[in-house]
Amino acid sequence: MPNLKEVRLRITSVNSTSQITSAMKMVSAAKLKRAQDAITTMRPYANKLKEILENVSSGLGSAESVFSQKPKQEKNILIVAISSNRGLAGAFNANIIKRTNQLIKGDFSGKNVSVVCIGKKVADAFRRSPVFYSGTDIPSDLNKLFDALTFDNVRPVAESIMNAFKQGKFDKIVLVYNQFKNAAVQVTLTEQFLPVSAEGSSTTTKTSVDYIFSPDVEFIVSDLIPRSLKTQLFKALLDSNAAEHGARMTAMHKATDNAKEMLRELRLTYNKARQAAITKEILEIVAGAEALNG
Amino acid sequence: MKLEIIKPEKKLFEGEAKSVVVPDAMGQLGILNRHAPLIAALKKGTIKVTETNGKVQLFDINGGVVEVLKNKVIILAE
Repeated sequence: MPNLKEVRLRITSVNSTSQITSAMKMVSAAKLKRAQDAITTMRPYANKLKEILENVSSGLGSAESVFSQKPKQEKNILIVAISSNRGLAGAFNANIIKRTNQLIKGDFSGKNVSVVCIGKKVADAFRRSPVFYSGTDIPSDLNKLFDALTFDNVRPVAESIMNAFKQGKFDKIVLVYNQFKNAAVQVTLTEQFLPVSAEGSSTTTKTSVDYIFSPDVEFIVSDLIPRSLKTQLFKALLDSNAAEHGARMTAMHKATDNAKEMLRELRLTYNKARQAAITKEILEIVAGAEALNG
Repeated sequence: MKLEIIKPEKKLFEGEAKSVVVPDAMGQLGILNRHAPLIAALKKGTIKVTETNGKVQLFDINGGVVEVLKNKVIILAE
């Protein structure tokens, strides 16, 4: 039989753990609400921008821009891995690290790969690895982005990445992040950021509206592509942020459930031990009395 | 005409408007009721909205794009 005091101590500790996890779940639920609002207001903007870009470039054949030109060879690859600053979110961060490693060893093996990390967890995983990007042209304090996730803060980061591509430092840039599906489901995505991939499907839904373009189509396209790229990065960050809180909420919910189950079992053991102790005591007293009488 | 001004983070304006003046890449561009379909690139500047009741609202933007279609104006600002 387990010691009564030991069991009592374990009950207290499991109880306080479950209090912590359920509080964390509550906090994540509140944060998720806000992150979800941010992404739902962002989506119509991104969709409209894409629609306008398609409308404009459908008249142009293919979008001509420094960002859409395919380099002759894909040699230098940049992976932008987006994770969170904090852990305790289930497989959220592990998925990003795993996917990034898969890309390095699989799709991009034999190529010159660099990794830019947004979020402390993925940065910790790659800091000591040779692929960690240490150039000064891309800001290094990227973890702070999550403290204030606004478009104004994301813009310079997107611009620095776009500049690195423009200068020919990289031939291909991909984003790795968790997309927010709903509170319980996150999908780890690998998305091509640069060069801009021309989508063939857009031409079929060509609108017959005769737009006036000001100043002209080429200018608008060259102006819109950088904008839509910035929007794409911002959207990925918002997605990842919402997904993080969703993942943490689910993880903490499960942890609370597990703690409750554990508590139930511990209480049972405790009561059994208590009963056994009482029975033993009575037996001893009765046996003692018998001995005196006898 | 219907007018919508959207930023990535929030909606700045949504509703009926009498006229809107936007900072076009070539200068100021005024849009009134029943304007022809238009797509224009915007530069840094101020959007001036006159609502149907005559109230004037100003919004500072950092560039963007405007689309006019079927008497609906959508401004994607940055």
